[in-house]
Amino acid sequence: MASRRLTIISVIARRLIAALPAAGFGLASGHVRRTAFARAWRQAFEDLGPAFIKLGQLISVRPDEFSDELVTEMRSMQDAVPAVPASVIRNVIRSEFACDPEDLWATFDDVPLASASIAQVHRATLAQAYKPVWGEELPAGTALAIKVVRPGAAEAIRADVAIARSLAERVARMRVARRFDPVALLDEFAATVDRELDLRVEGRFADRFTFDFRDDPKVVAPRIVWPRTTARVLTMEFMTGWRLSEIDVAKANGVDCYALAVHGATAFMRQVFEYGRYHADLHPANLFVTPDNTIAYLDFGIVGYLTPEERMNITQVMAALVYRDPDRALTYSAKLGVNVPPDRVEPVRAGLGELLDGTFRPDGTRDFAHFGLGFLKLLGQHGVQIPSGYGLLIKSLATVEGVARALYPEIDIVETAKPFTTRILGKAMGDPARLNERMPAAIRAALREIVA
Amino acid sequence: MTDNVMSFFAAWMLTHEVADEGLKAAVLRGEDGGPEGMGGGPDAFVNGLAAMVAEEKEKLKRDLEARARGEEVAIEQQTDPAFEELRFEVGELRGRLDNIEGLLETLVRKSGS
Ligand SMILES: Nc1ncnc2c1ncn2[C@@H]1O[C@H](COP(=O)(O)OP(=O)(O)OP(=O)(O)O)[C@@H](O)[C@H]1O
Repeated sequence: MASRRLTIISVIARRLIAALPAAGFGLASGHVRRTAFARAWRQAFEDLGPAFIKLGQLISVRPDEFSDELVTEMRSMQDAVPAVPASVIRNVIRSEFACDPEDLWATFDDVPLASASIAQVHRATLAQAYKPVWGEELPAGTALAIKVVRPGAAEAIRADVAIARSLAERVARMRVARRFDPVALLDEFAATVDRELDLRVEGRFADRFTFDFRDDPKVVAPRIVWPRTTARVLTMEFMTGWRLSEIDVAKANGVDCYALAVHGATAFMRQVFEYGRYHADLHPANLFVTPDNTIAYLDFGIVGYLTPEERMNITQVMAALVYRDPDRALTYSAKLGVNVPPDRVEPVRAGLGELLDGTFRPDGTRDFAHFGLGFLKLLGQHGVQIPSGYGLLIKSLATVEGVARALYPEIDIVETAKPFTTRILGKAMGDPARLNERMPAAIRAALREIVA
Repeated sequence: MTDNVMSFFAAWMLTHEVADEGLKAAVLRGEDGGPEGMGGGPDAFVNGLAAMVAEEKEKLKRDLEARARGEEVAIEQQTDPAFEELRFEVGELRGRLDNIEGLLETLVRKSGS
């Protein structure tokens, strides 16, 4: 533990010192200096492994707390980890099930399909037919993907978080960071990681997702084989297709990118605005497209939840963006816990208006990321605290936009949101309780117009 | 008397026509509520909503015409969402039981060896 602490400190120190020349020994202009140090932090985090890689991913979604340079740098963090030998993975499986992979599945492939910071994925085939939580029975021989948590990943991450926390407490006492509370950030982080380390949580969400999209055959997720699943081993359907990061291959195979981009974005909006639960860890490696233009969602490790009330308020904020209405955006952001102090309302409102008008790109489509991240930053500048769910949602929407745009550069994600927000708000307006409350005033207003 | 009825209907028709023109204009504005015209505000939302209602109206019109021609109109027939939800929850419970059963088998193997 003590030596790990030393490793952490020395890796960070080494990277920061190496960045000194590029930073002009601290004398270069602000931007150059911050960029050089941000890169050093990112490299140090990559050197330090899973816990820090995840931490970097968390930093990349908090532009309200960290500098632009750091956020950009952390967003480009590489999650490529060398694979663990099959014998090690087999041991994890043995300790979870007290038998060999061959006793659990008809076949088990020792060559890993993918290797990420927390888990490694192997192919296998189903031994006996299984009826999943939703949908048709999976016949024997169905292709499977087995996700296995790397041995020691849980312990190593928890230990690293504990060390980082104690270092953060010192930093907090030194008051070098502006306004931001590193200890709170790490606690939030620890909670996220804990959830991600129990694969059953992820499995349950995947099944729920399949159910939510039961009426849309174009959006799918792997279904879970529960008798062969534990906290550290997840058995699920294998999804065939191309990762979005290999979109060029998909294009060459005749995938309709425009339809896919619109459909994918729509599916995400449905999760947010209709169901109030959404896949919050989208990146191009977690989305597959298949030759018949189906979108497969993978990896439900991080999920955002919204209460019906939050959902309605978020819909209102989105409508404000769609229809460029800064007052609406502020009113409903306040209900989401974004409390702008009274003396700040005017400048924030003005900044917001500018952002809304500036979201257009030269081709006339809107740029959500520009707006969303700009808004978070604007609030940060005025010392407004941002509820973490709000940041996560904006980041996710910005990612969806990025992904959709990788498919089809001219897509306007805000335009895609239009029918949703409009329909949902329209529906809410027809709510009898609301009508009852508002109708008398509406009729009075109409009469006043007529007699005037 | 006849005069009264006439002017009443005339007024009624006029009101509708005016309202209709206003609505049509809103629909048009809503349909091409594109990038131009910064600072849309609450009116923009009303226009957008009007455009969607108009779409719904066209659909209704098409359905009615089809029915008049004696065609079968697919009225969106959905199973009661409450039942579907229930079915899912039962499925989920089954999944949890399957999971526990698997765990039990593992325990048996562990105690046997
Ligand atoms: N059901 C599946 N079918 C096919 N491939 C899969 C499946 N599940 C996972 N994979 C492959 O394994 C990779 C890693 O899986 P996953 O993203 O779930 O792991 P992770 O450790 O949570 O990664 P991350 O660091 O992105 O959170 C995916 O990008 C995908 O290529």
